[in-house]
Amino acid sequence: MKRCQFLLLMVFVVLAGSCATRKQARLGDQITEIDAETLQLLEKINSASAYEVPDLGLRKDYNYAKTAQDVEPFRHVKPYKEHFLLQMEYTGPGRAIPEPTDVDSVKIGFIGPIMSTVSVATGGKSHEEALGIKMLQGARLAIEGANAAGGYLKRDIPFELVVSNDNGLWGASGNEIIKMAYKDKVWAILGTIDGANSHIAIRVALKAEVTMMNSADTDPTFIETNIPWVFRCISDDRQQGYLLVDYMYRKLKLKRVGVIRASNRYGRFGVREISDGSRRLGNPIIIEMAYALGTEDFSLQLERLKDENLEAIVHWGDAHEGALILNQMRRMGMDQPYFVCDRCLSEEFVEITGDNAEGVICAYPWNPTRKDSRLERFYEDFLKRFGEQPETYAAHGYDGMSMLIWAIQAAGLNRAKIRDVLAYQSKPWHGVTGDIVFSAALDDVGEVYLAKRRKGEWKFYSREDLKIPQGYIPPRDRVSRPTLTAQSR
Amino acid sequence: MKYLIISARILMVLWLGETALCQAKDLTSGLPAFSSISVCATEQKLPYVYTEWKHFTTKDGLPNDHVFAVKADGSKVWVGTENGLACIDKTTGKIKSWKEKDGLPWRVVSALDVNTKTGELWVGLFGGGLARFSGGRFDHWHQLNSGLINDVVYGVAIENDNVWAATTAGASRYNTVTGEWTIYTEKNAPMEEIWNYGVSYDAGKVYLGIWGSGVLEFDVATESWKDYLDPDGEMEIDLYRDDGIVHVITTGTSYIDGILWVSSYFGMCRYDGRHWRGYFAHETGLPSDFGNAVKGRDANEAWFATDKGVGVLADFPSDTWVTYTMDPNTHRGKAVVTQGQITLEIVDMPRGIPHNYALWTEFDGNNIWVGTSKGLANAIGIGYYKGLRSRARWVAPSGEIEAGKSGGHKTKRPKRSG
Repeated sequence: MKRCQFLLLMVFVVLAGSCATRKQARLGDQITEIDAETLQLLEKINSASAYEVPDLGLRKDYNYAKTAQDVEPFRHVKPYKEHFLLQMEYTGPGRAIPEPTDVDSVKIGFIGPIMSTVSVATGGKSHEEALGIKMLQGARLAIEGANAAGGYLKRDIPFELVVSNDNGLWGASGNEIIKMAYKDKVWAILGTIDGANSHIAIRVALKAEVTMMNSADTDPTFIETNIPWVFRCISDDRQQGYLLVDYMYRKLKLKRVGVIRASNRYGRFGVREISDGSRRLGNPIIIEMAYALGTEDFSLQLERLKDENLEAIVHWGDAHEGALILNQMRRMGMDQPYFVCDRCLSEEFVEITGDNAEGVICAYPWNPTRKDSRLERFYEDFLKRFGEQPETYAAHGYDGMSMLIWAIQAAGLNRAKIRDVLAYQSKPWHGVTGDIVFSAALDDVGEVYLAKRRKGEWKFYSREDLKIPQGYIPPRDRVSRPTLTAQSR
Repeated sequence: MKYLIISARILMVLWLGETALCQAKDLTSGLPAFSSISVCATEQKLPYVYTEWKHFTTKDGLPNDHVFAVKADGSKVWVGTENGLACIDKTTGKIKSWKEKDGLPWRVVSALDVNTKTGELWVGLFGGGLARFSGGRFDHWHQLNSGLINDVVYGVAIENDNVWAATTAGASRYNTVTGEWTIYTEKNAPMEEIWNYGVSYDAGKVYLGIWGSGVLEFDVATESWKDYLDPDGEMEIDLYRDDGIVHVITTGTSYIDGILWVSSYFGMCRYDGRHWRGYFAHETGLPSDFGNAVKGRDANEAWFATDKGVGVLADFPSDTWVTYTMDPNTHRGKAVVTQGQITLEIVDMPRGIPHNYALWTEFDGNNIWVGTSKGLANAIGIGYYKGLRSRARWVAPSGEIEAGKSGGHKTKRPKRSG
């Protein structure tokens, strides 16, 4: 009997493989590829009743977010409990809900800042539409590609993007997720960018039991919520912060670094790992100045920074303000190295700063210049479709939406199963932004980069490229690890 | 050989005597009738275990099986589901339900409370605002016609003449006498984040469980706030178990007899005004650290609804727990009594909670209501007692008590009597 089952499974694998190969050749994409591992997974989840929780093998990490020992919080104390090392399970009855037969399209939600309104983050005019529109373009390209390849293959019906704007006061993103989950009846959702809106959205997704893929919110706390329905396909500010900290202190041996940041959630949480890491490596940030969004004159902040005789300045905020700050710094005779977050790697930053951009170093979640046929094809397709070059939000939006489409093709129209096939993948997703590897917290912990502006171009460097030293990453969780000795400190 | 036979006879006589004693005591122990103790171990101080469960699903008239909230109110029990509101009449057993077509302003009912002064039912709607059900009519408040800060309402609590709504973008307080609304956000309350999740009221204090901002205490008399945050300030660790709230992402609060009970997705807590105590699944009877809700019965007993069953701290001083789960294959119920790391008792029941994904618990006299994502349960508390009491032990199927964790007694499956 077991032999029969095995043979049947192998037939499925071969058929799926040949089918996938044909599609692959035609599409150049992986959204219809269902491998043997996923087939085995499907066998388990398809046979689970409403009361059972199938044993799918929970992912277990031994180190949270690849954190070096010397930048761990309270590293001289063994914590009582360490979170996020064991993958969260979905234990509800959702897997037993049958696939509906009365649908004429497969709806996938998109939520992002795409229309100018007021902003939760600033209490004033919104500021992230430029990013949200790119993200939407990337998502749309993925949907259109899937439809060109036959749509939802099981029923031969198209995918449909249900688009929502999240730029509003009073927690509008929560209302939008409710609408998508209960009225539009989407099967999964991609979004959003602003940290506050993202947090609101995932709380709703948890109760409504719908997968949320995030491709643009780099707030480390976004994923630190223990929600089994949440995924992120972009490396966060924690990973970028770790690399920047290592570069500044372990490689460049800097001692006096100052911070200037936006006084919103993005600035506050984004720079946190840099502040903590600096302190833990013995070089506490000398001064941290915040500015309100929309500020044009940064004299107040920069004069304070200048007085501190700093060796370098880190900026965490939007490209516009980051560029104005750099120009004003240089006018004031502040010629320190300028380190910035990924939002500053943009056309707008370069246009405003001109030659001042030379030498700027930017933490970045991927390498958009790497040689990769999939990436090149994405650039071509995007340019052809939208008449412009894609950037990071478009690329990550494309990857996030492609993963959702793949999960729906594999799992069928069942929200819990869509979540399962994404959550239990042991292999990385080969995205246009690179290999996306999920941690136990379902966060992308793939490689991050530093981008240096040289001769009018951004050059991207990995940790290895720049020989950036890294602290020791223990292969064991903190609770069961032997206590630190004076020597190991 | 002769001595061996004599010894065996003596042991047999002693065993029979002890069994008879236990069976006699069994008659007065308040244990339910469906089974008897097949092996009587030595009497022990044990908590009350709910063994009689009744289930309610759509087959019985509920509008939906996904139960988010339950509120007992005299002879009625109100049930909030993912697709409608229901009322169970305990005297007749009939269930009446309301959906959008019946005037319910929005399908998802996430929170319920009753104003005991007026008898009005207040309904938190997940994405639909706040409603009052009174005299057969729904009145509706939302963020465009009132001071309700957001339509995504997670919690509702009645405080004197006021109705509190915990929403995804702050808390709102509505004075039902004056019609005045007060909004609480980061502007006028110590909310590090504004994502309110749960609200409860007792003895002059309102407690808000806030996602990312721990617990906020509002003193009604002084209208002043006090915040309770995780002292280590880190998301990925809990540095010390008993130094404060185990995590800032809290989901529910319950204040009773001067004790604050807190649930979170990272463990649970108890606070007596001076000392905190953290609870995690790996060292207690909590089935999981993922707490959807908490309800304190008194200073020593609290019920935690988790994604893997219901954990009941039945007796705080002795750290005695009862864990209620459902076998996903047989659908039989199971209650496990533990004290610290020791399993004292395993009770196998024909029925228990209807699904292990528990979302809500509600007290109804000695009875309990448990809302799950696959039905509602009513546990009958005949002979319920607080704390611990000497009684005979239930015994479990052999091998169920893990080696090294048991109290060392042999176990057998309980049998039906009568």
